[in-house]
Amino acid sequence: MALFPPITPSVADTCRAASPARCPHCGTAVEGETDAYCCSGCMAAADIIRGAGLERYYAEREAFPARPTPLDGAWTALTTEPQADGTVAARLIIDGLRCASCVWLTEQVLARMPGVAEATVSYASGRALLRWDPARTTLAALAGRIAALGYQPRPLGVEPHTDRTLLLRLGLAAIAAVAVMGLYEGLYAGWWYGAIDARMATLFRWVSLALATPVAFWCAAPFFAGATAGLRQRVLSMDLPIALGIIVLWVHGLASTLQNRDGYLDSLTMLVALLLVGRVLEARGRRRAADAATALVATVPRTARRSTPLGIERVPTELLRVGDTIDVGSGEEFAADGIVTEGTGQVRMSLITGEAEPVPVAPGDQVVAGSVLLDGALTVEVRATGGETVLQRMADELQRAADTGVRASGVDRIAPWFTVVTLVVAGITFAGWLAFRGLDAAVASTVAVLVVACPCALALAQPLAGAAGLGAAARRGLLFRSTQALLDLNDITVIALDKTGTVTAGEMTVVAADDAALRIAAGLERFSSHPIARAIVAEATRREIPLPRATGVHELAGVGVQGDLDGRRWSLTTGGAGSVCLQDGTAARSFIRLGDALRADAAGTVAALHATGRRVLLLTGDHGRIAEQVATGTGIREIISEADPRTKSSVILRLQQEGERVLFAGDGINDGLALSVADVGVAMGSGAASSVLIADAVISSAALAPLLAGFRAARAAGDAIRINLRFSLGYNVVAILAAAAGLVNPLVAAILMPLSSAVVIWGAARVETRVRREEMA
Amino acid sequence: MNGLLVILGVALFVGMLFAGMFWYAVRSGQFDDMDDPPRRMLKD
Repeated sequence: MALFPPITPSVADTCRAASPARCPHCGTAVEGETDAYCCSGCMAAADIIRGAGLERYYAEREAFPARPTPLDGAWTALTTEPQADGTVAARLIIDGLRCASCVWLTEQVLARMPGVAEATVSYASGRALLRWDPARTTLAALAGRIAALGYQPRPLGVEPHTDRTLLLRLGLAAIAAVAVMGLYEGLYAGWWYGAIDARMATLFRWVSLALATPVAFWCAAPFFAGATAGLRQRVLSMDLPIALGIIVLWVHGLASTLQNRDGYLDSLTMLVALLLVGRVLEARGRRRAADAATALVATVPRTARRSTPLGIERVPTELLRVGDTIDVGSGEEFAADGIVTEGTGQVRMSLITGEAEPVPVAPGDQVVAGSVLLDGALTVEVRATGGETVLQRMADELQRAADTGVRASGVDRIAPWFTVVTLVVAGITFAGWLAFRGLDAAVASTVAVLVVACPCALALAQPLAGAAGLGAAARRGLLFRSTQALLDLNDITVIALDKTGTVTAGEMTVVAADDAALRIAAGLERFSSHPIARAIVAEATRREIPLPRATGVHELAGVGVQGDLDGRRWSLTTGGAGSVCLQDGTAARSFIRLGDALRADAAGTVAALHATGRRVLLLTGDHGRIAEQVATGTGIREIISEADPRTKSSVILRLQQEGERVLFAGDGINDGLALSVADVGVAMGSGAASSVLIADAVISSAALAPLLAGFRAARAAGDAIRINLRFSLGYNVVAILAAAAGLVNPLVAAILMPLSSAVVIWGAARVETRVRREEMA
Repeated sequence: MNGLLVILGVALFVGMLFAGMFWYAVRSGQFDDMDDPPRRMLKD
């Protein structure tokens, strides 16, 4: 396990160490001969772990955790769920769990806290369920302990129950199918060996009917409900031929049993069981995507520092009133709209306007909730809170405009034709056989036609391949809201990308700096939580420069930081837009440039998208010069810059009128309109919550490559569905003709149905394999 | 002949038993989370 990679040669000279000392907790390289904690947070976390006797964590873990940051947010204001035994419960999602040992550690540490009755963290999803005695501890204490270990908890609401009834229907149908198939196999054996006892045969038939009846009436209920709902709304879905088929199968089974002949009851139970499997898989895939989307947008209720005559108090943002005065520091988000009364600073408003360039503010300027103060310290007089802020009003408008229409899927469009053709053929068969052979033969053939016409394989083709496609995309970081959204990707001709937060990382990172200056700056900023400090330390860690320890560090809000290192006194101050200046009191100075860096996979993804034959367009609210830089860096050839939200959606509409199908990917609230208007709207999971909730798909990781994976999965699923549909239609046509010719009996039907379904299932299973093969190529 | 009747009866009874256990398992929420228990088992 390579946890100790080599240092770059240039820095090796500077620190003269063959292998660096590291922080025993988070693994950051530090200067010196012995391992030392890089910050007080790591030291505190290690104390907690040792104090609980859990040193085993350090021996077993497979990845280093992040450095602990202080817990923020109004945890005291959250409501908890009271339980029957007097405890209260809460659900959280925890970020930063990097391996199974982290999960184990969190559970153990929480369970040992006083008053905790239950602390369960899911290894699969990072969701936690906590239950505790409110008299002995609080949610804030528990959340604080999680944060002290280096993980970030966020609250989740009550989660909807899984559809247990659907699973029950499937289970019972499957058990009944196995029993009935066994009994009917006995009856079929009697056709050749002839010696089955008449009373035994009667018994078998009656037991089969008894088992098949609840299957037809209760287990198959969702299909009847779907068919009647469709009839009422004049939308004929696949449920209609299925419901008709089940009715025919059951009535014929009843009649045959009464007449002491073999019916199609085994086909009935098998049909219902198989179709329910398709439903369960589809439902599970959709629930996973929905859960992941809600987890992404779970946020801690924000707090603000309100100044009162008694001093500064931390209050939940809900309690702010117009006229209050709040203090905002570096790296904090504005809790309400207001006017600056004191101080200066730089504000990033990208989530709202789409511009990444920091905006300088001074007394008298307006600020809006949701923007972030990058640097500086301000006092702000509140002018609008909660639902009245610009942010919330934009989000509400988005929700209202979101289209929730349901479109019929491809398979459902065949359904009316299918039903009509089947009934016509059945009618002809009946008339034909009646004329030539009499009533008995006519009934037998007509029933056979209706039975084999039952679209089992056809109805499975879309859900199974669709679920496989959704799963393949989800595993690669792209979560779709529905199968139709996935399949729509195949029609897309133009991909429009927002810039800030989509093509770029959306956060401040170091763009240019030399190693020596970076090392000193990192030493000065090592313990600061300022956004610039974090960017500098992150870059130093990325370049594997061991962090030095500066002494006498003095931070001045809005100005910079000073400290002693290597025998000289250094100062790090703002050096103009987008850079900081490092100087030691002599004329020598070094600049570190900060900016919004391109995502590492942006250029590669754009190239691959171009290779699929589609147009890629950069659609941003930023200035032309910056947009061009980004376009050159990623290989995007078409740019539309300085576009406000209205312009973005009108560009998309114009493209659509020209016949193109447009996919739009964005992250801010200002992208909401464009997301709704585009044929497929993709939101970045790290962006505004409202965008995540209304988009057709969400990229759950901080990368652009999942978009490409989505196209591959859509292609594989679309092809699988098409092939499956062609096969099932072909099979149905042949089978119906054979039935009309009198060649089909219960045994033949019992073999044909699972065979055709197996082919369809196999086709769906190949989706993941195909996506993987395309990735290797 | 009687032997087959008995076997049939027992088989059906066992089938009902399994159906009942499945019902109980689903209703008590054992199938709600299918992703976590396998990983938890691996951890220890």
